[in-house]
Amino acid sequence: MDDSQSNGQQPGQLNLSVLRFTLGIPGFDESYLPRYIGYGFGSLLLLNHFVGSDLSAITPAQLRTEALGLSLAAFSAVLPYLGKFLPIKAACSFSRFHLCCGYLLHLSDMTLQRIFQGTATVNQASLPAGNEQLFIMSEGMPEALREQLAWSTYVLLRNTNTIAALVSVGGELCVRGYWSTPDDISRADLVDWFNKQIQNIGLPDLKDALYFPVNSGNEFQTLLPKGTRSLLILPLLRVSNSSTGKLKLSKGLVLLASSMTYAYSDKDRAWIEAIANQFRG
Amino acid sequence: MSRTGDIRSGLHAPEGERGQYRGPKPRKDWAADWVPNNEGTVRSLPIYVGGASLLAVLFNRAVSGIAPVADASSSQSRADLLTLGLAVTNILTGLVWLSIRPKSISVVKPEGVECRRIQSGLPELVVSELLWVWESLSTVTCCRSLVIIYDSICIMQIGVAAKSSAEDGGAVAVNPVKLMQGTLYQGIKKSKAQNYLANLSLYPGRSELPFLPANTQAVILQPLGDNGIAVIGGDTIRGFTTSDQTWIAYIGEKLDVTLAKHAGEISVLTQESVQRSNS
Repeated sequence: MDDSQSNGQQPGQLNLSVLRFTLGIPGFDESYLPRYIGYGFGSLLLLNHFVGSDLSAITPAQLRTEALGLSLAAFSAVLPYLGKFLPIKAACSFSRFHLCCGYLLHLSDMTLQRIFQGTATVNQASLPAGNEQLFIMSEGMPEALREQLAWSTYVLLRNTNTIAALVSVGGELCVRGYWSTPDDISRADLVDWFNKQIQNIGLPDLKDALYFPVNSGNEFQTLLPKGTRSLLILPLLRVSNSSTGKLKLSKGLVLLASSMTYAYSDKDRAWIEAIANQFRG
Repeated sequence: MSRTGDIRSGLHAPEGERGQYRGPKPRKDWAADWVPNNEGTVRSLPIYVGGASLLAVLFNRAVSGIAPVADASSSQSRADLLTLGLAVTNILTGLVWLSIRPKSISVVKPEGVECRRIQSGLPELVVSELLWVWESLSTVTCCRSLVIIYDSICIMQIGVAAKSSAEDGGAVAVNPVKLMQGTLYQGIKKSKAQNYLANLSLYPGRSELPFLPANTQAVILQPLGDNGIAVIGGDTIRGFTTSDQTWIAYIGEKLDVTLAKHAGEISVLTQESVQRSNS
């Protein structure tokens, strides 16, 4: 379809795609190479300083070089962290095959995964041990709401890096995914248990969205599955007109947990917001 | 997002009056905010750092009176070589970052008139779901026009539509029967899969979509089960990402289920429209 524009090169731009490469080692992300080189060369510099040279006769010139070298090593180690936030070419209409052929050497799986940001399914987010698959809903829900909740949780689990989803609308709860719940609670009481956990943290009173990309903190540990790294909570607020003015009251929330860090890109969050909008009305 | 006053995670919100959120607030991640906003600087930063370090090493050698010989005999030379190696790594990383910069594609404002036509007589639930689909697509993606056809009638035409040449200057009406006989619909009916026309100007099938603005850049044709199609027009070439495509496929399935459930009421509307066109 769009092969002529596949490299995204403007006329007159240098074609640097030859610099991208993979060593073909499974599980090794080439974008972390500067970090490994930084650590390696930094250690070698220190080795050279203490072992490879006469400590009593080190020249200022050598000290200057070593200082520069160690700063560069530290900078190289930080580079992959900064690079994670740079948007990569969005190869929207390309298949992996086209992507592979378009470049001289194929990209590693991990880099491809980052290119298709936001489409990584549960298969690629690793499932931490110690969790069980769960799908429970409150009793006595209207049929339409039941179907909406079931579809929403299904789609959120499939389409984002989520391993556990919880949606609460007007007191009705739907919990789906991989959760770790106490063994002594029967399935029938699980809904109450989840409701209690949510109340304890005060989640129903949340006014703004919360996104913890790296660490969700200790307060959520009982509620969330083991191995949770990213956490996204969206409150569903309804606006009520009282005599004093418009009041924002909580109607429920959408809570998503993932085992990856930085699991939800801006685009993912926009879609999750759209799904949550079904229930705000 | 939440208040950014608490910059360390684990700090509790004050346990004031009853009904206060008592959990932690997220830590402010300066890199996540700063890097995407200064993309150009960040991409070329490693090159400047590496290049400057390279020159600094050579300058250091020159100033210290050591001959610029690239051997590993003295500890000074070894240190220099290691530093040069790091500088080169930085330069190469910078070049790789520059090479994978996405091409910026500009948005093309669609030419046409705003329109909002929803088939009358549809149940409340269906209408609210259709409007939800439109709100979601227009907010999250580059969608600017949406047409939904089910059971041979145009259920919804919303967003920007082509201006008709008639005197009233309204939007061009959708001819569902003609669309369903055309090659685009037949193609997706056979494949039962979404069709993404990333650069609409390249496709001759463009002529089958006269109701879309003439300068629509990209179109997604989503089948709704066996009886329907959603035509989603966007304002940017290749503007729908793979993520968008997957979401649209799922939404299409949901819409199909909803419309199929109310198929009885929709078929009444179909008969009415057939009678009207026959009389």
